[in-house]
Amino acid sequence: MSHLDRLRAVFRVALNLPPDAGVDDLEYRAIPQWDSLAHMALIAAMEDEFSIMIDTDEMIDMSSFAKAAELLEKHGIGAAAV
Amino acid sequence: MFPHPQARLIPSGAEKGIGGDELAHYIKRAAENLDGLRPGPLFCAMRNTLASVFCYLGAWHAGRPVALLDPDLPPAALADLAERFRPAALLGFTHPLDGPPPPRTDVPDPHPDLGLLLATSGSTGSPKLVRLSRQAVLSNAAAIATALSLGPEEIAPTSLPLHYSYGLSVLNSHLVAGGAVVLTEAGLLERSFWADLRTYACTSLAAVPYQYSMLRRLRFDRSQYPSLTTLTQAGGRLAPELVEEFAAQAERFYVMYGQTEATARIAVLPPDRLADRPGSVGVAIPGGRLEIEDGEVVYYGPNVMMGYAERAEDLARGDDLGGRLRTGDLGRLDAEGFLHITGRLKRIAKVFGTRVNLDDVERLLRGSGPIAVTAGDDRMTIWTETADQPTRARLARRLAAELRLHWSGFDVRHIEHLPLLPTGKIDYRRLESLT
Repeated sequence: MSHLDRLRAVFRVALNLPPDAGVDDLEYRAIPQWDSLAHMALIAAMEDEFSIMIDTDEMIDMSSFAKAAELLEKHGIGAAAV
Repeated sequence: MFPHPQARLIPSGAEKGIGGDELAHYIKRAAENLDGLRPGPLFCAMRNTLASVFCYLGAWHAGRPVALLDPDLPPAALADLAERFRPAALLGFTHPLDGPPPPRTDVPDPHPDLGLLLATSGSTGSPKLVRLSRQAVLSNAAAIATALSLGPEEIAPTSLPLHYSYGLSVLNSHLVAGGAVVLTEAGLLERSFWADLRTYACTSLAAVPYQYSMLRRLRFDRSQYPSLTTLTQAGGRLAPELVEEFAAQAERFYVMYGQTEATARIAVLPPDRLADRPGSVGVAIPGGRLEIEDGEVVYYGPNVMMGYAERAEDLARGDDLGGRLRTGDLGRLDAEGFLHITGRLKRIAKVFGTRVNLDDVERLLRGSGPIAVTAGDDRMTIWTETADQPTRARLARRLAAELRLHWSGFDVRHIEHLPLLPTGKIDYRRLESLT
């Protein structure tokens, strides 16, 4: 599974969305499921899934699925696939 | 005088605050805007914005009772409240009513002492409103200002919703003490919140337990905010290790206890007693008194509500409680009057600062097979005999949607058979021991 598919799966689980939900266009607080509590669950799930350590600034800046994908690349995840 | 002549409101992003004559002018204008409205309570969609605060203070100035409500109430919930309480007008809601508010024929006018209405949070279906007299609101604001030594130099951001009693108490206590409040709709996870904290040199931060977990997760570093000397906590029990962690960072860390039924605050633990009274929620606020009656914490004070209201007629009632509030919490007082909460008399859980009646949740889930609900810190456990994981996930999602709380507050667990007492009732003690 590509890192983006893994990220999509993490989003669906952490935000408690149905398995077929589209997540690529999601933005923080744009849907009720992605509130501040879900955000913390999401950060924790991403740290576990990709074995990374997300710092405070990154937690706050990760305001969309696209930003989360960028964050992974910054941490060297999926860089090989580019 | 409310607000105090030195009090200031600072909308996020503004160059300077609004206070003194300018603030008084805006409040007067907001009050004049209500002239000519029919009698009855004003329904104000209470956001953390200047417009909402002016609406609230305008109604207060005009001597008209005001219900400060969740601005994002779903249309059906708002329609239900309007039908039951027959407001004079509804201002600022995200999903306004379809037509004009329902008629007030044969509805008595609200009681003249009535100043503020707050919804009992988290109830399923039809929330009750807590009736607070003007005197209760003012006395609680003053008592909090005294207990926390608030003065004109204090600046607090709105870190909690203003339609929530704890959030509102931060505003009111600063307005009474002549302090400043930074009005922001951003939460702890938004950069603008922290930018405001720094720009306006905020001196305190109020948070409920889940926000402290969040601050830990964010690796909150107090040294980055040198002006921030005070942290306050209410809205349920904070884990001892979090109390310790944040007390070590702040110059003053206040553990507090309260209920909407007492306007907000009942007890405050002075920071210098944190070390020798671990686990205590403090002593009664100035002007208040605590008693333990048959194990239950009973509070006496001028900030106790007049009573609940289920419908418009109830708003005409006077003081039903006479300053005595049975809290529904179990506790003990030590020799020096420090209160320790030991449990709950009623089947109530606090989930992310919001009170939820466990029996209501069980009723909500009737038809989903054998189910029992128990409470834990900041969450509830739903015990089901259903082994199927997707079904359990759907249950959590459904509860989250119906109770408007985050799904992670609902721990849905499988149990082979619900334990029963000899009477055939569910053995909740046994279930609690399993969590």
